[in-house]
Amino acid sequence: MVTFIIRRLFATVFLLIVVSMITFAIFFLIPKLAGQTSYQLAIQYVGRNPTRAAVLEIEDKLGLNAPIYLQYGRFLKAIVLGTHYNSGTSTTYCPPPCFGYSFKSQQPVWPQMVSDLPVTLSLAIGAAVIWLVGGVTIGIISALKRGTLFDRLSMGLALVGVSLPIFFTGLIALELFSYKWPIFPNVQYVSLTTNPLLWARNLILPWFVLALLYAALYARLTRAGMLETMSEDFIRTARAKGLQERTVIFKHGLRATLTPIITIFGMDLGLLLGGAIITEVTFSLHGLGLFTVEAVQNQDLPEILGVTMLAAFFIVIANLVVDILYAVVDPRVRH
Amino acid sequence: MRRPRTIGLAAVGAVAALVAAACGGSSGGGTSGSSSSSASAFNAAVTHVVNPSTHKGGTIIFDNSTAPDSTDAGNTYYAFNLNFVMLYALPLTTYKSCPGTTCGNTIVPGLATTLGVGSDGNKTWTYHLKSGVKFEDGTPVTSQDVKYAVERTFDRGVLANGPSYFASLLAGNAASYKGPFKNRSKNLMALNSVDTPNSSTIVFHLNQPFADFNYVVAFPQTAPVPPNKDTGANYQNHPISTGPYKFQSYQLNKQYTLVPNPQWKPSWNPQVKQLASKIIVNLNVNANDIDNRLLAGDIQVDQAGTGVQAPARAKILSTPSLKADSDAPINAHEWFYYINTKVPPLNNLHCRMAVEYAYNKTNMQTAYGGPIAGGDIATTAMLPNILGFQKFDLYHALTKPSGDVAAAKQQLQECGHPNGFSTNIAYRSDRPREVASSQALQASLASVGIKTTLKGYTAANYYGTFAGVPTYVHSHDLGLLAGGWGPDWPNAYGWGWALYDAKAIVSAGNANISELNDANINKWFLAMEQTTSKSQSNAYANMINRQVMKDAAILPAVYAKALLYRPPGLTNVYVQPFYGMYNYGVLGTK
Amino acid sequence: MPDTLLEVDDLHIHFPTDDGLVKAVDGLTFSLERGRTLGIVGESGSGKSVTSLGIMGLHHGSNARITGHIKLDGEELVGATANRIRELRGSKMAMIFQDPLSSLHPFYTVGSQIAEAYLVHNQVGKKVARKHAVDLLGRVGIPQPATRVDDYPHQFSGGMRQRAMIAMALSCDPELLIADEPTTALDVTVQAQILDLIWDLQQEYHSAVIIITHDLGVVAELSDDILVMYAGRMAEYGSAEHTFDEPGHPYTWGLLASMPRIDEVRLERLVPIKGTPPSLINVPSGCAFHPRCRYAGFTDGRSQAEVPELREVAPGHLVACHLTGDQRRKFRTQLDLEETEASAARMTKGDG
Repeated sequence: MVTFIIRRLFATVFLLIVVSMITFAIFFLIPKLAGQTSYQLAIQYVGRNPTRAAVLEIEDKLGLNAPIYLQYGRFLKAIVLGTHYNSGTSTTYCPPPCFGYSFKSQQPVWPQMVSDLPVTLSLAIGAAVIWLVGGVTIGIISALKRGTLFDRLSMGLALVGVSLPIFFTGLIALELFSYKWPIFPNVQYVSLTTNPLLWARNLILPWFVLALLYAALYARLTRAGMLETMSEDFIRTARAKGLQERTVIFKHGLRATLTPIITIFGMDLGLLLGGAIITEVTFSLHGLGLFTVEAVQNQDLPEILGVTMLAAFFIVIANLVVDILYAVVDPRVRH
Repeated sequence: MRRPRTIGLAAVGAVAALVAAACGGSSGGGTSGSSSSSASAFNAAVTHVVNPSTHKGGTIIFDNSTAPDSTDAGNTYYAFNLNFVMLYALPLTTYKSCPGTTCGNTIVPGLATTLGVGSDGNKTWTYHLKSGVKFEDGTPVTSQDVKYAVERTFDRGVLANGPSYFASLLAGNAASYKGPFKNRSKNLMALNSVDTPNSSTIVFHLNQPFADFNYVVAFPQTAPVPPNKDTGANYQNHPISTGPYKFQSYQLNKQYTLVPNPQWKPSWNPQVKQLASKIIVNLNVNANDIDNRLLAGDIQVDQAGTGVQAPARAKILSTPSLKADSDAPINAHEWFYYINTKVPPLNNLHCRMAVEYAYNKTNMQTAYGGPIAGGDIATTAMLPNILGFQKFDLYHALTKPSGDVAAAKQQLQECGHPNGFSTNIAYRSDRPREVASSQALQASLASVGIKTTLKGYTAANYYGTFAGVPTYVHSHDLGLLAGGWGPDWPNAYGWGWALYDAKAIVSAGNANISELNDANINKWFLAMEQTTSKSQSNAYANMINRQVMKDAAILPAVYAKALLYRPPGLTNVYVQPFYGMYNYGVLGTK
Repeated sequence: MPDTLLEVDDLHIHFPTDDGLVKAVDGLTFSLERGRTLGIVGESGSGKSVTSLGIMGLHHGSNARITGHIKLDGEELVGATANRIRELRGSKMAMIFQDPLSSLHPFYTVGSQIAEAYLVHNQVGKKVARKHAVDLLGRVGIPQPATRVDDYPHQFSGGMRQRAMIAMALSCDPELLIADEPTTALDVTVQAQILDLIWDLQQEYHSAVIIITHDLGVVAELSDDILVMYAGRMAEYGSAEHTFDEPGHPYTWGLLASMPRIDEVRLERLVPIKGTPPSLINVPSGCAFHPRCRYAGFTDGRSQAEVPELREVAPGHLVACHLTGDQRRKFRTQLDLEETEASAARMTKGDG
C-alpha cells in the first residue's frame, strides 16, 4: 500500500507538470500560431492608447518577450523555490509555492486562491453532503419500492433535476426565495468563523441548487446500482441463509452498491473543489470558480495557471483517495 | 427634423415634477445648488437633481459585475472608476458636478485654486494649490506630492493602466524618464519638465502647445501621492486619501469599504460631498443579481454604470412606478463601425459612401438594443454631448432609416462596382450586440450587392492583435470593423484625436482603425492643440465631425444609452454627462 | 410415511408478466424422506430452479402466485408468514447454488459469511460462531481452515469455493439440503469430489437432499429417486434405478440418448432432442412435449388435446404420457435397435 501511494504521488507531480505545460502552450502557442507577437499580447495589459514605450515596459515586466521555455522555467522555479517581486518601492519574497503575480493587479496569486478556497470548500462540501445523503437515500428507497408511485415520481424529478442547468435553477431559486419571497434575502458569503449560522443560511440556496443536479444523478445511479445488486446471486444466498431482509438490504446489498457510488463521489467532489464555476457565478460567491472566470476574462496568465494547477491537484488527489478507498473497501482489488 | 428623444422625455419629466411640487409632494430639505426639482420621473436625473438633500448618514452599497482596473487613482482609465475615485482622490482640475452638458461638461478647479493658464504659446501650464489641503493622515499636501503622482505613472511596469498623455506631452527628460521606482534615489523627483518652485505651485513644461491641458490634469493621475507612503503596485490596497472618504478595508477582486475622511473639508472640492457614513463596493457580482438587488433595495448603485440587463429592463419599463425611478441617458459612448480607407475597394470614397447609404439604420439600432437599451440612431462620428456638437445627417439615416438603396447603388456606380463588391466585417465575438449588429450589417449590405464575410475575434485581443493592427487589417481584408468609443474629455480633441488624426495611427493597439489621413482633419486637430478659444474649439468640433462623415470613415450605429435605476432612498442623484452615469461623488441616503 | 421430511402436493408457481402468465411450475407432486436424495432433472426453463426457490420461500418479494402445498416436516410452507419461512431458511432447510463465486459476497470473508448464517439462527457469541465456521471448513475438506477462514471468496479455487458454500449451508445442520446445479460451474475432476462430499455429509447428517441438474450423470451417481420435469410439469418420477433402466417417457428417452455415456463406446453422434423448450406462457396444448415427440401421432390426437395424467407404469414409477405400455415397450426397443444399427454402420465405415 505504501509503495502504491508513493508511486501515485510521483505520478501526481508528473501530471501537474503536464497540466501546466499544456496551459502554457494554450496560452502562448495558439495565439502565436495565429501570428500574435508578444508586443501585441502585452497591449491588453496596458490602458487605452498606450505609448510604444509603455507597451514595451509591460512586456518586459511581465516577461512576455522572453522565449516560452524561459518563461516556463521561471514559472516552475517560482513554484519550487519561490521568487522575489518588486512592487516598485519594495521587494517582497513570495515563498513556495509561488504562483507569481497577477498580470492585472500585480498582486500575488497564491494568497488570492487561498482566500477563495474556503468559499469553494464550503460550497462543495456542503452540497456534497446533501446530495450524497439525499440522492443515495432516494435511490435506495426507489429501488426497494420499484414501480411504485414514489419510484416513478422520484425518478421523474431526478430526470428533471439532471437536465436543468445550474444557471437556470440558480436564477429561479434566487428569484423565488431571495426576491419574491425573501426567505433568504441578500445572499452573500459570510465566513464560517465569523458567523456560522449566517454562513449556513446564506449557503442554503447555492447548496441546494448545486446538490439538486448531483442528487438527481446519484439517485438514479443508486437506484440502478441497487437494483442490479439486489438481483445478484449473493443476495439470493443471503436470503437463503435466513437473514432478515433488513440485513440483506443494508449489510449485503448496500455495501456492494455503494462502492462504485463512493468512487464517483470522490471524483465529483474533487472536480468541484477546483471551483464550482457556474454556481459561484450565479450566486456571486467568491470561490475558485469565480476566480477562474475572472482570470480567463482578463487573460491573466499567472492566475489561470495557478487555478488550473490547483484544480488539477484536487482532482488528482481525489483520484488517489478514491483508488485507495476502493482498495480498502473491495478486497478483490487488493490481491 | 426629429427631436432627440431624451430632451422630449426630460420635458415631460420636468412638467410632472412641477405638478408634483405644486401638489406639495416634494421631499428632502434644501437643494444642492443646481436645478431644484426633486420629484422622481423617468429621465428626471438626466436634467435635474433627484432627491436633493444634505442629510448625512446611512450606507451606500455599490455592486459591480467586474472590478476596476485598479483602485489606485493614478492607475485607472475605466469611466466608472474615474467617477468613483473622486471620493478619495483630488486631481488638479475636475468637472463641475451637475446634470446637463452645458453645466456638467465644464471643467473647474480641483486641487488647484483656478484653472491653469497656458503661457508660452500654451506650452507651459502653471497651477497653484489650495492651501490647507491634507492627506487622510494629516500630512499637508504639497506640489511635490502632485509631481510625484505624475512621475510614478511613467513606470508602466508598475502602473500600467492609466492614460499616456503625460508621457507624450511633457518636455525635458520625459521621453527617457523611467519613473521614480527604479533607482529611486536618482530618479525620485527627477522629471525635469515638472517644476515645483514652492510647495504650492506646480509648473508643467510641454513639448508642444496643448490648449486642452486642463483636461489632461483632470485625470486622477494628478491626485497627490505622498512619496514616502507610496507602495507602488500595492498602493491600490490603501490609497492615501485627499477626498471626502478614505479606505477602511480592501479585498482584491471582492470588496472594499470607504468611511468618511475626518481630515476632509468641503472647501477643498465643492464638487463632491461627504454624506453617507459608509460606502461598500462589492466586486464581481452576477450582473442579473445586481439588478435584482437594486430593485429589492439591497444595494443602491450599480458601479459599472452601463445599465441594467435585459430582464430588469423589461420589468422596469413595464412597471410605471419603477420606470419613474429610472433614467436612460446617453452613456458617454458611441457604437459604430470603422470603414477602413486602405482596404480595397473601400479605399475609394464612393464605395465607402455606398456602404453609408446602404445599411439599415433601424436594424442597427435594434441590434444594439433598440431605442432605450441600445441608443439613438447615430448620424455623426461624435457624441452629441461633446462641446460644439451640431447635428447633421449626410446619409439619410433619419429620413430613410432602412437604408437608401438608390443612393447606395448610385455610389456603387461611381466607384466602379455597380454590382457590389466583397469585403469582411470584423467584430468582437464575445459581445452579443456586436454579433447581432454585424449580422444586421451583413444583411443590409447584401441587399445592394455588397457581399461580406463575418470575422469574429475575442474582445481581449481585438485591439492588440487584430483590428488594432493595421498590417493584420490589410492582410485579412477587414474593410468594416466594429468599434465603440468614449471620450477622454468632452471636446472634439478628447473625443476624436485618437480616432481620426493620422498621427494617432500605431502599429498595434491602434484606435484610428479607419487609418484616416485627412489633411484638413489633421490640421484642425493641430489647431485645437493651440487655441484656447472655446468658440474656436467648438467650431473645430463641428468641422471635424462633418469631415469624418464626408470621408465616410465611420459608419455610425447608435449614441449608446443605458437604462439606469436609482432606488428611491438615494439622494442627489443625477447623470454626470461626461461619465454618462450617476455622479458617484455626491450621493447620499435619505 | 414415518420419515417423510418434505411433501409437495399439486404445486403451482405462476408469474404474471406483461407478456402473459408464466406457468413456471404447473402441478408438481412428490415427497422426500430423510436420508434420501431426489434428483430433479430437466432442460433450462423446465421449472426445476423455480421449484427449489419455491420450497425455500425465496419467491417472496416477487409477484409469484403459489398454490398447492409444501409441507416441511408436517409444517405447511405455502401461505406461512414470511418471517416463519425466514426462520426455517438456513436452519431447517438450506440451499447451495450453481456459481459459488457470484453466490458469495465478494466483500466479506468466507468465515464471516459462514458465521453469519450460524449467528442468525443461534444465540451464540461471535467467537463461538467463528470456531464453528473453522470446524465446518475443515469438515468440508478445506486444508488449513483456521487461516482460510479469513480469506475472501476470490482467494479460493472453484472447488474450494463450492465446499465453502456447502459449509455455509450446513452451518445450522439443516434437515433438507437443496443443491441447485452444484457442479455445473466446476471441472469434471472437482465435480466428483463435490458429489462425494455431498454424499458423505448426507450419510453423516442423515439429511434429505434434492439435487437439481440437467446433467444425468450427476443424477445417476447420487440420486435415490429421479423426477423429470418438462415445461413445469412432471414427465416421469421414479427410483433412479428404474428410471435409468426402463425409462418410460419419450422425453426421458431423448435425454438419455443425448447424453454422453462413459459406459458405452461412443460410436454414434449424440442425438439431441429436436426442437426447443416451449414457452411457459403459451404452453402447447395437451401434452406439453407433443411438438417435439416422435410418437405424438400414435395417440389418436390425445397428445394434442389432453394433458396426460401421471400413471403408475411400475410400482413407484410414474409417467405422464398417452402412449400405452405396449407402445412404450415397442418404441423403446426400436430405439435400441436404431442405436445398434447406427453404431454398426459407423464401425464399417471406419468412423470409430
